[in-house]
Amino acid sequence: MPEPLLLTEALTRRFGALAAVDGVSLAFEEGRVHAVIGPNGAGKSTFLNLLSGELRATQGRVRFRGLDVTRATPDELSRLGIGRSYQTANLFPELSCADCAWLAAQSRMPSSMRFFRPAERYAEVGDRAARALEVCGLSGRRLALAGQLSYGEQRQLEIAMMLATEPTLLLLDEPLAGLGHDEARRVVALLTEVARGRTVILVEHDMEAVFSISDTVTVLVDGRVLERGSPDQVRNSAAVREAYLGEEIA
Amino acid sequence: MTRRILLLAGALALGAVAFSGDRFWLQFLGKAMIGCILAMSLDLLVGFTGLVSLAHSAFFGLAAYALAGVTNRLGLVNPLLTFPVCLLAAAAAALIIGWLSLRATGVYFIMVTLAFTQMLFYLFNDSPALGGSDGLYVAERPVGSRAAAYVAIWAALVLAYLLLARILRAPYGRALEGIRGNEQRMRSLGYPTRRYKLVAFVIAGTLAGVAGYLDATLYGFVNPAQLGWRRSGLILVTVLLGGKGTLYGPALGALLLAFIEHYGERVTEHWNALIAALVIAVVLFLPRGLAGLVQGGRRA
Repeated sequence: MPEPLLLTEALTRRFGALAAVDGVSLAFEEGRVHAVIGPNGAGKSTFLNLLSGELRATQGRVRFRGLDVTRATPDELSRLGIGRSYQTANLFPELSCADCAWLAAQSRMPSSMRFFRPAERYAEVGDRAARALEVCGLSGRRLALAGQLSYGEQRQLEIAMMLATEPTLLLLDEPLAGLGHDEARRVVALLTEVARGRTVILVEHDMEAVFSISDTVTVLVDGRVLERGSPDQVRNSAAVREAYLGEEIA
Repeated sequence: MTRRILLLAGALALGAVAFSGDRFWLQFLGKAMIGCILAMSLDLLVGFTGLVSLAHSAFFGLAAYALAGVTNRLGLVNPLLTFPVCLLAAAAAALIIGWLSLRATGVYFIMVTLAFTQMLFYLFNDSPALGGSDGLYVAERPVGSRAAAYVAIWAALVLAYLLLARILRAPYGRALEGIRGNEQRMRSLGYPTRRYKLVAFVIAGTLAGVAGYLDATLYGFVNPAQLGWRRSGLILVTVLLGGKGTLYGPALGALLLAFIEHYGERVTEHWNALIAALVIAVVLFLPRGLAGLVQGGRRA
């Protein structure tokens, strides 16, 4: 059994009286793809936002590589090696793809508080950005403005920016949401490629995609863990079928 | 490329005026160039970082008051001493005001910077020991002749432009551009954005201090109006008129405003209305300001 890279201990987030995430204790082992699924309002996005520091936990802890990161800010978590992508395009609309990836790659410099040498002379940053764009199939769109990309391309750029920060843990928030069939297939292929040898926590609605690329599946319902296991176990779980109330499960 | 040649020609022309020895032009263009430094440094915040600050005049005024203070009370005249001391005063004020203001964002940030500026205005305006509403004379100016003061202003303008252009091309400048575009995303990419904004605020405030020091050197006089919020508003208008996010645009805007102010005064006593009409026209029809007319690349 590999050592868990990320661990949550009774993680809880309340909004007023509502516990969106309610005492979730999970271990995420290194080198695997962990899917988190659940019906709408199950707390999946809240859970991810707790892991990336965008929300503060009301109770409980998050440990990353044994380090307590419950109170860490998004920028600290990013520099520790937790990268994330967003469900709705969260890019720099006025910048080109190359510049978006550049900003992501530049964040791995020991400090970007460099005031004199022109940025383009930092060749290693440019290389890192170019590699990330290439992996995500955007090499031909380097000069296109992020705001003018198609939906699917924006998602590819999201992932490229995340990769350019060279994270050890990838948090993916519904990377397929809103995509057409062809676009979704392209992004699934990309995710399969990206997931190889990396640790991924994937929140997703698209069951087919989830079952095809995940090693473990966690089902959240009303902020609690309903079921956890291999894709097959989860697919055949009576409790899960009931929670989805007739919704089709692959 | 053509823009570079134009800028170079403009800078040389302004520099050449120093040899004319004409009292009026030295004073007039000296003041205009001080306006350029103010507008360019505010553009670092407004145009490149997306921070609208109304505290810019505070750092301008504080450096000017600092010069009057160290000269009149401590008897320091040598610019090698007074210049760093006054800049340090402006920088320290920018650090404190920035550190506090940047806890707020958006319109709240603007309001906090406005409040600090008002506070300082009334502090100087209402304290007889600080000159009160009459202001203070600088007992002995750090640079004696008007021509020498002009050369100092010209050199400061050129250096400020080169410094800002350099910073904006460096990784730090790119990070500021990212913060302007999507600050939340910059944070999630690992940038401690507030620290970046604070550094920009201090750089801009220090340059405003350079302008204030030079202003007090040129006129030998400082009064509370120079640090009031109206002045900040005027610098902001200059930036928008010239074209935010271009560096040379706000400098152009400052020169243009200086000319309108001077010649407009002869045509009509309502020259302020002229400026207002111009600003409205530019904002409506030239959203990228005067720079939009010259437009070359998107970076300074």
